[in-house]
Amino acid sequence: MENKDSLFTVEGMTDEELFARVDHNSLDSEKITAPRYSYWRSVFRVFFKKKINLVFLGILAFVILFAYIYPTVVEYDKFGNLMDSTAKHLKPMAAMKKFGYNIHWILGAGAAGQSTFDAIWNGSRISISLAFICAAINMTIGVLVGAIWGFSKKIDMFMMEVYNIVGNVPSILLISVLVLILSPSFWSMVFALTITGWLFIAYFIRTQVIIIRDREYNLASRCLGTPITRIATKNILPFMTSVIVTLLAVEIPSYISYEVFLAYIGMGMSDMSLGRLIYEAESAMVTPGWQFEFWSPVVIASIITVALYVTGQNLGDASDPRTHM
Amino acid sequence: MGKYVLRRLFHGLISAFVVVAIVMIMIYTLLDKQLIFAADNVYKNYGNNEKVAYQYRKWEEYGYLDYLTYTDYLSLLVEKGEIDEETKTSVASIGKKPENDKKETAEYVEKFNEYCAANNYTVVRLNAIMVSPKKYANGGAQQLFAYKALPITHRLVSYVTGLIKVDNIHYVEKNTGDVLENPGITFTLHDPIYGGEKFAPAIIGNGTKHKYLLYFDGKFPFIHQNLVTLNLGQSYAVNQGVDVFETMTKPQGSYVMTTTTFPTGLTEESADDLHSAVYVSGSMLANKVNSDRFTDDYTSVTTVKAGKSKMGYSFSIGIISVLLMYLIGIPLGILMSRHKDKFVDKLGTAYIMFITAVPSLAYIFLFKAIGGKLGFPTTFDIESTSKMIYVLPIVSLALRPIADTMKWLRRYMIDQMNSDYVKFARSGGLTESEIFRKHILKNASIPIVHGIPAGVLGALVGAIITERVYVVPGAGNLLTIAINQYDNGVIVGVVLFYAILSVVSIIAGDVLISLVDPRINYSGKAR
Repeated sequence: MENKDSLFTVEGMTDEELFARVDHNSLDSEKITAPRYSYWRSVFRVFFKKKINLVFLGILAFVILFAYIYPTVVEYDKFGNLMDSTAKHLKPMAAMKKFGYNIHWILGAGAAGQSTFDAIWNGSRISISLAFICAAINMTIGVLVGAIWGFSKKIDMFMMEVYNIVGNVPSILLISVLVLILSPSFWSMVFALTITGWLFIAYFIRTQVIIIRDREYNLASRCLGTPITRIATKNILPFMTSVIVTLLAVEIPSYISYEVFLAYIGMGMSDMSLGRLIYEAESAMVTPGWQFEFWSPVVIASIITVALYVTGQNLGDASDPRTHM
Repeated sequence: MGKYVLRRLFHGLISAFVVVAIVMIMIYTLLDKQLIFAADNVYKNYGNNEKVAYQYRKWEEYGYLDYLTYTDYLSLLVEKGEIDEETKTSVASIGKKPENDKKETAEYVEKFNEYCAANNYTVVRLNAIMVSPKKYANGGAQQLFAYKALPITHRLVSYVTGLIKVDNIHYVEKNTGDVLENPGITFTLHDPIYGGEKFAPAIIGNGTKHKYLLYFDGKFPFIHQNLVTLNLGQSYAVNQGVDVFETMTKPQGSYVMTTTTFPTGLTEESADDLHSAVYVSGSMLANKVNSDRFTDDYTSVTTVKAGKSKMGYSFSIGIISVLLMYLIGIPLGILMSRHKDKFVDKLGTAYIMFITAVPSLAYIFLFKAIGGKLGFPTTFDIESTSKMIYVLPIVSLALRPIADTMKWLRRYMIDQMNSDYVKFARSGGLTESEIFRKHILKNASIPIVHGIPAGVLGALVGAIITERVYVVPGAGNLLTIAINQYDNGVIVGVVLFYAILSVVSIIAGDVLISLVDPRINYSGKAR
């Protein structure tokens, strides 16, 4: 009997308070007393709970801000030291001894006597811009088309054929031909990367839409007469948020990597992007003592892509409502 | 099932040809046709009018246009019987300028112009370029010819119809006009190349393009044929005049000399592969070397080389890295899912993240540097007999697929771990390792099995960066080299090859999972 008694005792409250009679109130009984839930607040709560995310977000913010601010503040002239034969291929220490101890020379000097550090940040700005612009265009078109593709069976038949055919055209060929016809500039690169790039994203989204489309809650929604646009925007889009964020986390760094790859095989753009820097420093790679010129842009490119990838992946995890418990 | 696969295959082939059509339109109509001469040394050495004429000749050879010279036109008239040989020679030489033409010649030039206008040809007449009244400038002789651009459909049709060639006994007569004494096919049980004593069946043709249509030798797969040849497209810059498929499959490296007995009985140390003999009109009597060796005009032979072909190198590196991918990726994936959120899992995730996020170029160079420090050779040498040269390319190539296999297997296994059948098995008292081995792995491996054909066939294609970094003479770089040198024939051929491989590998993957998983059925009406 003692056990049963302790079951009904609550600390700090007397029995009279606990068992007081409450009148019926029809207004109060309509209220749902679940804790207040805001989707985006929960996303960021989960995201910032992991301390590692703060570190990577910090690195990412620093890198991006530095890449955009530093080149506007510092004048960079690739051929400034071209005539000075003693300024070429210098290791950091030698470069600093020659030009003075400042931030420009902490990564040494390149083949034309230019500061590697300045060249890298100029290149990073171009590469990051390319990645963000391409990702924005491809994701927007890809998600919109993918949503329609997933919903309509007629469009699905047609688009599958398009996908089978365009997917088989080697992207290197497409990009190099387009860049050759247009000119190896930044915007023709954007055009070449986006002209078919959205198709692969659309295909991915289509598969996700098809998986969710026929779930029971959507069936119920349709039975209740909800219009298809409302199902798409209210029922399916929230479900897709984490998928889209995760996809974005893979996409953005992949454009930087792809640009590096294209430049390395000699099909990149003429702007001095990170890939182009790596391509031009490749010959320095095999010369003992010059490897620094090659590794510096490679390491910076890797840091940028890793920071983007990790932040994006964890944001994607956090935007999945199942992790909000 | 068979019907379904055939239908898919047919469908896939059509889309492969649509891909080829798109690529053809892209490179033949969008790109400047002048670009194909970028890497041509003969073109560079020609000057003035001859250069222009050479351009048009090459454009005709590579299918851009139909090229008709004034001399061709006169020969056409002779064939029709409108003029005789004598008139032809008398009117064949045109003047340095149109006004210098002889009266009779001018008449025929006028006829030529009319003929061209009637058949939509554009006439080009280049006046002679002189450095002095008597002396022509380099390549400055006068030229008269006409051309007609060929539509892309014409090119596509002739490409597709010429894709597979079957050798026949009328080949020589049709292509060279030579009349052979007794064209036909003979079957012998004792191949004359081996001295006529050894038992080695062979089918020998006379009047065919290849002398040996079917033969046996000591090399894998021991039986070889020359009856059916694949023409993916002729190369211009990469490997002039040679078919893409041959470029990919021809052995490379140094010659292998063996004691060879030629048809005349001459015995010599030679690298010639007599089984590859091809007919070349009038070649036996053309020089002493050939007349000493051969008894007929089948004199053009390839040579035996020590190295593998481009595709051979790519495949031997690729297939081992595919094996590594499954041998390492699958156990690690299982380990990660069994110890989810433990140290092993976190370490594996860090590796996957590193490989996925870092540009492939960066980690390949990183592993090259590490491997170089450990003493592995970092540049590929065909002549080397050491197997160590394969280590670094294989490792570099396997890094990414291992990470992908780990990632996906872990994902699939964790998804399966929450299913009802696993809970049921556990409540039935099965041990954890039994559940993993017998139940979860079997279900989770189905999507992995789907990728096996793509992995194996993909090994044929080669890898671009890995082969470039380690200087492997493989097939992976063929497309990029062709693009850089504007070798359109190679581009089209390689694209068709890639497209067919990808179509076949997807279908083979679908068939394979239906064999592994009895629930998947393509022929049932339920689909």
